Amino acid sequence: MNPLDILAMRQNRRSFLSRSTVGLGSLALASVLKPWQSQGANLAASTQWPGAIQAIPQLQKAKRVIYLCMAGGPSHLETLDYKPKLAEMDGKPMPESFTEGQPIAQLQGQKLKCLGPQHEFQTFGQSGQQIANVFPKIGEISDEICIVRSFHTEQINHDPAHTFLNTGTSISGRPSMGSWLWYGLGSESENLPGFVVLTSLGKGGQGQPISSRQWHSGFLPSNFQGVQFHASGDPVHYVKRPPGVSQNDQRRLVNAVNALNRELDSVVDDSEISTRITQNEMAFRMQTSVPELMDVRNEPQHILDLYGTEGGDGSFASNCLLARRLAERGSRFIHLYHRSWDHHGNIKNNMRTSAKEVDQASAALITDLKQRGMLDDTLVIWGGEFGRTPMAQGSGRDHHIRGFSLWMAGGGIKGGTSYGETDDLGYKAVVDPFHVHDLHATMLHLFGVNHKELTYRFQGRDFRLTDVHGNVVKRILA
Amino acid sequence: MFRARSSFEPEFVPMSDLSRILLQGAMPLTAFVLGASLQVKADAEIRFNRDIRSILSNKCYTCHGPDKNSREGDLRLDVESLAKADRGGYFVIDSVHPAKSELLARITTEDEDDVMPPHGEGKALTSQEVALLTKWVESGAEWEGHWAYLPPVKAPVPEVENPDWRRNAVDRFIGARLESEGLQPSDPADRRTLIRRIFLDLTGLPPSADDVARFENDRDRFAFDHVVDRLLASPHFGERMAVNWLDLVRYADTVGYHGDQDYSVWPYRDYVIQAFNQNLSFDQFTREQLAGDLLQGANRDQKVASGYNRLHMITAEGGAQDKEYLAKYAADRVRTTSSVWLGSTMGCAECHDHKFDPFTTKDFYSFAAFFSDLKERGFYGGNRWEPQIPLPTETQETRMEALTRQVASLEASLTTSTELLVNGQFDWEAQLRAAEENGELLWEPIRPLGLQSTEGASLRVLADRSVLVTGANPEKDTYYVKLAPEREQVTGIRLEALTHPSLDKESLSRGGGNFVLTDFKVDRLDSNGEVTDTVTIASAKADFSQGGFGVSKAIDGNKSSGWAVDGSKKIADRRAVFTFGSPLDLAEGETIRVTLAHQSDHKRHNLGRFRLSVISIEKPGIEETGVPSDIYRAVLKSFEERSEKEQTRLTSFFRGQTPLLDDTRVQLASTKASRDRLKKEIPTMLVSQSVKPRQMRVLPRGNWLDESGDVVAASFPGFLASKAEKELSRLDLADWMVSASNPLTARTFVNRLWKQFYGTGLSKVLDDVGSQGEWPTHPELLDWLAVEFMESGWDVKHLVKTLVTSQTYRQSSVASDYLKEKDPFNRLYARQTAFRLDAEVVRDVALSVSELRVDQLGGPSVKPYQPAGYYAQLNFPTRTYQADKGASQYRRGVYTHWQRTFLHPSMKAFDAPSREECTAERSRSNTPLQSLALLNDPSYVEAARVFAERIMSCDGEAIGAQVRWAFTEAVCRKPSTREVKILTELYQESAERFADDKEAAEALLGVGGAPASGDCEPAELAAWTMVSRAILNLHELITRY
Repeated sequence: MNPLDILAMRQNRRSFLSRSTVGLGSLALASVLKPWQSQGANLAASTQWPGAIQAIPQLQKAKRVIYLCMAGGPSHLETLDYKPKLAEMDGKPMPESFTEGQPIAQLQGQKLKCLGPQHEFQTFGQSGQQIANVFPKIGEISDEICIVRSFHTEQINHDPAHTFLNTGTSISGRPSMGSWLWYGLGSESENLPGFVVLTSLGKGGQGQPISSRQWHSGFLPSNFQGVQFHASGDPVHYVKRPPGVSQNDQRRLVNAVNALNRELDSVVDDSEISTRITQNEMAFRMQTSVPELMDVRNEPQHILDLYGTEGGDGSFASNCLLARRLAERGSRFIHLYHRSWDHHGNIKNNMRTSAKEVDQASAALITDLKQRGMLDDTLVIWGGEFGRTPMAQGSGRDHHIRGFSLWMAGGGIKGGTSYGETDDLGYKAVVDPFHVHDLHATMLHLFGVNHKELTYRFQGRDFRLTDVHGNVVKRILA
Repeated sequence: MFRARSSFEPEFVPMSDLSRILLQGAMPLTAFVLGASLQVKADAEIRFNRDIRSILSNKCYTCHGPDKNSREGDLRLDVESLAKADRGGYFVIDSVHPAKSELLARITTEDEDDVMPPHGEGKALTSQEVALLTKWVESGAEWEGHWAYLPPVKAPVPEVENPDWRRNAVDRFIGARLESEGLQPSDPADRRTLIRRIFLDLTGLPPSADDVARFENDRDRFAFDHVVDRLLASPHFGERMAVNWLDLVRYADTVGYHGDQDYSVWPYRDYVIQAFNQNLSFDQFTREQLAGDLLQGANRDQKVASGYNRLHMITAEGGAQDKEYLAKYAADRVRTTSSVWLGSTMGCAECHDHKFDPFTTKDFYSFAAFFSDLKERGFYGGNRWEPQIPLPTETQETRMEALTRQVASLEASLTTSTELLVNGQFDWEAQLRAAEENGELLWEPIRPLGLQSTEGASLRVLADRSVLVTGANPEKDTYYVKLAPEREQVTGIRLEALTHPSLDKESLSRGGGNFVLTDFKVDRLDSNGEVTDTVTIASAKADFSQGGFGVSKAIDGNKSSGWAVDGSKKIADRRAVFTFGSPLDLAEGETIRVTLAHQSDHKRHNLGRFRLSVISIEKPGIEETGVPSDIYRAVLKSFEERSEKEQTRLTSFFRGQTPLLDDTRVQLASTKASRDRLKKEIPTMLVSQSVKPRQMRVLPRGNWLDESGDVVAASFPGFLASKAEKELSRLDLADWMVSASNPLTARTFVNRLWKQFYGTGLSKVLDDVGSQGEWPTHPELLDWLAVEFMESGWDVKHLVKTLVTSQTYRQSSVASDYLKEKDPFNRLYARQTAFRLDAEVVRDVALSVSELRVDQLGGPSVKPYQPAGYYAQLNFPTRTYQADKGASQYRRGVYTHWQRTFLHPSMKAFDAPSREECTAERSRSNTPLQSLALLNDPSYVEAARVFAERIMSCDGEAIGAQVRWAFTEAVCRKPSTREVKILTELYQESAERFADDKEAAEALLGVGGAPASGDCEPAELAAWTMVSRAILNLHELITRY
């Protein structure tokens, strides 16, 4: 093949994936963008969306992400970042040198006083990681995790902060990281979406809303949208047959529809039709694969005990178990939100409540993945959209973005380590600051993808998850 | 002559992968090659705009383009004079000695240090690009301004040989190009396809069987034109046209950020529909939206239209800072307005000068400054979306006037002096002074509006406004007390625990005389009684507390600790004061709810009698005065010492609370309540109102905290207009948008409209006609249409008619193999394009086929069936979706309630955008979620059942005849024998199965609220429902061919 041909193909390839999907764009897109496997073994593999970019095999450590988002913004000062100096300063005015000219949320215009850590910290594991004692189970897996204590972000209110964490910008309409990964690398799942979202509501703090924007594919083709699975009602919208319609009835119906579609195709020869037929089949299969996924009755009791759930109740623990099942079935990005961490008041008790809701199951997920040999290629991330102020807001803490913590495990992350530091009062990331863009860059790196190369042209510009920023932080890699 | 470079390979996709994708595309490889080279093949001559600009823009402008901050080597390649300038002995582009051009040396050198673009940075040039650049430079490097920035001109309409291809200018431009490419246009579509196409394109509805038959038999030469005229006059035309416009302006029914609360902007949607229906000229449409409020004697519609400026997402999230969000809103307006009218991506210039087009950061903020006069806030605390205007009907207006008069007259009697009142006030003032002298300090006790015990105890209000607890005596209890303090500001609440003879030891509770108050909480409620906010309690103090049970334990969030007063031993009234973090401003209709929780382990330690009082002064003590401080100060002065203002205030305060005016006040309150009820029934609209402009600055790197940037005034983008002499307003902006000197607006609109009827824009990238956009396939046609549009007085219907009455439009969309290979993307229009219907239209088709559709033009948004629990992630307040019943359930998709953060799942599945941002082009995906929606969404199941009833009531007795009728009715064409057979078998098998299982049949028929006709045998109807479901699931039904 001569270079000109390749060039032409390359230009056309761009056209496939551009949003204008009529004409050949439509034909090609239809044939290419099959997020899920089509029917029959002979069609398998060849019709599945292969991804827009090839991961570099020797660099690829992670095959999937499970993101445990602690929505509401957990305080780093009562979870992962121990600050004895702050304890000494308890009740004293916060030095202005820290706060002057910095953004602030609900404490606007108020006197700023330090609030010492409300929970004791303890040293865990051989690595000696310091973790608050309300997280004893996470403590037990401390040798598996890397704690980042210098995370920072740019948005101080919940809604835009989630958007920023998911898409790298606070402007709506950009793809979330799950969509980027699905688009970039495809999915290994044959019967389930490549990007799945599960939410749970806790009892700590206010249940902050979470917008479906957080799992939107933005300007990427909407095939790459995250699909929310629900604990009650239909697990996926409209996956349940209408009342009175049996599996056989539905089969008969889908057969008839597809036969009629094929009749039409024989006249108009429109490849959208064959895609439609495939999607109808996929939809039909989802009507069993999704309930099968959600049904945990076959899980042995010791596994249920490990997570601390009987399943099916929409709790965080139940969702962690489902996350593992999704990971086994090949979903690329599994995003859990636990809405429990907006501790403006009484952080002492609220933290205890929220910690109890997630501690056991978070640790169980790591343990379970490990015992199945899946931790090595599953990247688990635990953290919120921002942290909380070292300053008191009554008995609680306000939103805070200049320095906070998260932990990661598996998927090529070096366990039993920590990275970065905040200042003495836990206000600002001062050693090895780790920006949201760095998280994205590092995450993509773990998938063997250069974050500068995973791009998509929209409004005349090649967009990236990391915008024009982002550094891969190699020191936390195994 | 060119090195073989690795860059020949696709940037990110190794060959194996790429070929895999291509092979899956089921397209012969040659098709791609031809498709891509079509444009170059047309004529061998190199043209700057078509061939060169995109290379420079893509590969060079990042470092040698408009952005001065990232410019390297002081070289600009986006401005001809600079690109060709003498650089001290050499030229980057040397027009005199092209071969000496530095550009050529740099793009062909093998030297790693010199090669451009530098290795490892930016993107390397392909050999094709190097060849094009070389040829261009060698042939004189002729420069052209960017096509979209030059004024459009009407080129002469070309001649075509094909006599059928001369219906109008569209055909001549398209035909001439086809002839030059040696391509034959396709045959016209058959009449059934054509009428379904034009109905769907112009009204978003399928034709009825009657419409189809009439058109099929109409032999008039102008039959099709007549259909077009009829549809352009249909009210459904506006509904169809509105869909795309509403995407652009990101119209929705909720605010988008955080709690995503509802707000009322639907009158704007109706304005858009009416504007298209009445064929409001596009220039006026533009003026009314951008500046309707500024028009001389602005009428109601124009004010509604000005709501355009308020359609961006807004926030009520606690802790949001005004300034930050004002900056977000300003940027959003620039992104949207520049995209809607200019097809430009000005948003790229928020943090730095645009990388590809000549928009500077200063342009961005100067553009934002046009909107700096809008009355707005950044943070909309209390969910008060302002400013709004009421839009009453005539009846409502009359009633409102009457009630307003009544209120005024009652209020007048409150303010009219009588001897009784004068004396009363004199006595009251004396009392207050006496109280002051006695050191008796008064709070104002409030009579509760509502009382509730979670455990069923009885709460009764006594004459002194205290509340006595009787009846059930539970171990733990929580009381909710609703208060409506009639004052503008509340700074704290006093709780009095009072003794009573009915209580244990005549003390404070029925649990031994003592109580433990574990939680004291104050919530703010809106006029519907929904909690909108929790009031921050800054401090609490009490006149007495038992050891270990300090009053602060009532506000520590701990559910077991609390305030107690040793009431079993010490029998006395006790008082505690809870001071708010900041004064609470209550708007009309708002109330507060006090929660008194007793959840400790001490049984029955629940308050037995209590009273709540409010106060409006800062830092209230337990014993401070109960009147506002200004009243307090005024009372202490003698009559002579008081200012007139103080005296007035004193009198009005007195009259507001004296028992002498109780009757009048009661009457006033009830009249006001009627007025408020009426007010709530009257629709409102968030609109633009002009106030003194805010100062606008350039925000360095978009950072709202940085105030070092220059102050800017409203102005047009520098490269598109000369500097104005006067101060510019939004109206000036609107006028400029639609002025003859603006090269972008008409082209942008025409291009999008073309896409609506032909599948792809003449310039494919609908939201960017700048350097990174696409050189149009038919630039002369695009310009001809743009000029025609302007010359016609921006006549939208005229433009639509021009586009859809061409022969080009009427072609079949079925592509021959030859055309598929020659022009796979159909960019030359030798055929029509088939595409899937928009989300709204998918719904409308099902409602139309079943005849469930209720046609009502406009009105508040409606709520179709939706899966339960879909809004579970929402809060502030939490929400339960109530699907509409009756007629509202069957309205067209365009009226669906648009919840930005959780759009209706069926709409979302079919690619309706969330409308958080301006959307110029919807994605057109094909996913299993769409199949699931069509199969199982109750809206479609119900439509199938109702359609089945129609099938059963049709004349044909034989099953085959009924199938044929149903198919034709829905799809607008007759089915083939095979098709009839497939559906007949589906019917027969389903009928057998449902005959054996009547219960299943009944269950299926029970879906949806539409009443059943009752005449049909259930098993048969269920079987026909299955047939209807199959039909509603057909690809053909949701596709426009």
